[in-house]
Amino acid sequence: MEGINVSKHVEVPGDPTKTGTAILETATATIQGFGPINKIHQHLCAFHFYGHDMTRQVEAHHFCGHQNEEFRQCLIYDRPDADGRLIGLEYIISEDLFLTLPDDEKKFWHSHLYEVKSGVLFMPGVPGPIQRQDHEKVAKTYGKVIHFWQVDRGDTLPLGIPQVMMALTRDGQLDQNLAQDVEKRFGVSFDEEREKRAYMEGPAHGIHPLANAAGKGIHTVLREVDCKPVESVPKVFV
Amino acid sequence: MASSDETPGPMPPGDGSVPPGKSVSIGQHVIDKGAQLLQTLKPIKHMNQHVCTFAMYSHDMTRQIETHHYLSRVNQDFLQCAVYDSDDSNGRLIGVEYIISDRIFETLPAEEQKLWHTHEYEIIAGLWVNPRVPEMVQKPELKNLARTYGKFWCTWQVDRGDRLPLGVPALMMSPQGVNLGMVAPELVKKRDESYGISSKDLEEKRVDIAGPETTMNPYANYWMQTGKGFAIDVELTDMKKTAPFP
Repeated sequence: MEGINVSKHVEVPGDPTKTGTAILETATATIQGFGPINKIHQHLCAFHFYGHDMTRQVEAHHFCGHQNEEFRQCLIYDRPDADGRLIGLEYIISEDLFLTLPDDEKKFWHSHLYEVKSGVLFMPGVPGPIQRQDHEKVAKTYGKVIHFWQVDRGDTLPLGIPQVMMALTRDGQLDQNLAQDVEKRFGVSFDEEREKRAYMEGPAHGIHPLANAAGKGIHTVLREVDCKPVESVPKVFV
Repeated sequence: MASSDETPGPMPPGDGSVPPGKSVSIGQHVIDKGAQLLQTLKPIKHMNQHVCTFAMYSHDMTRQIETHHYLSRVNQDFLQCAVYDSDDSNGRLIGVEYIISDRIFETLPAEEQKLWHTHEYEIIAGLWVNPRVPEMVQKPELKNLARTYGKFWCTWQVDRGDRLPLGVPALMMSPQGVNLGMVAPELVKKRDESYGISSKDLEEKRVDIAGPETTMNPYANYWMQTGKGFAIDVELTDMKKTAPFP
């Protein structure tokens, strides 16, 4: 597994941005409103793995905004840089909201308790005492992650279909190469944080048995369907 | 087993808000403010365009939505977009779209191309707009964007009443000039009124953007040639593991 999960930046195909395009986009950035984007206030780093394959693990940089106290929506990038690739998204909900989900839905959501208490989920650049105030809350939440771009297998473009991802739930799952690489790059120590977070508690009702897909693997498959209404679709004859 | 074209199970109605939940606490505001001061949020700052347009579900093109894309450009041939259902600060994150040039699109295998849609029609028809940007400022780039292809996954089907992001991601398609691709006039009218614009006026101004018909790839806008859309199914299977789970 040496080096396999360590982040590598592969170039997205294409020409460098032209001057004219860049100039226009500087203008649009100034003139337009970015309402929903301006709500994004936090950067969280954590790890995800594919819902059917724990061996494929990805460093995930979340940029999150609160819709309300119990709901966050996050954009996920492979690196926290201006050229980071948008690889997926995550929704984070309180235990109360999780319990209102239909049972069939609960399997898509993973618990955050282990990620928080083990120290592997962190906010780059934010001092421990401030971070921990947030982590205390996150420890009780559930998340639903979808990835669209399988950067870990070297895809230079977002190919294929969405992947439901899962999160770490116990010791022994996280690839140590990946862990150490992240610790080094961000100057953090997961073990030190773990000690400081020992006091934190998880969901009041315990981790729900249907969460984390109840331990099963989740796999997505593409299916063709007939457009409706079928009769009215004109066939374009080439 | 769950699918993107399946209706999800019931949820308690609550107070009807989407999503439900208590208001953000003072404590959370303080944490967020602290984080904002200390973190640079670079990928978010790199988003520099807002586009408002329309899309429909590939498994049911009668379901059409207004979308708000926030684009960031990776290079001349590739943009990545966070998609919301409105442009105000309460906008819900409903999905992600990737936009690529025709040059890059041609390098994709046919099976992949079927998942993508063209943008030419919606730009020429004045459906795709950059709110607040004068048309003459925008026009030069529209010609480039008219030749791009998009792949749009919707993760929150707000239009069917989901108060939380339920189910499996759905593939979206773009407006086209025929039948199932035509956007309902009342949807366009509502959008135009909220921005004080006229798609019809824009259409007149954009007449010269049209490219030759033959450039449209046969696999994109898959429904047009085949009458078929796509759904995503989720199957439970054995997970490949290195340690017990969960």
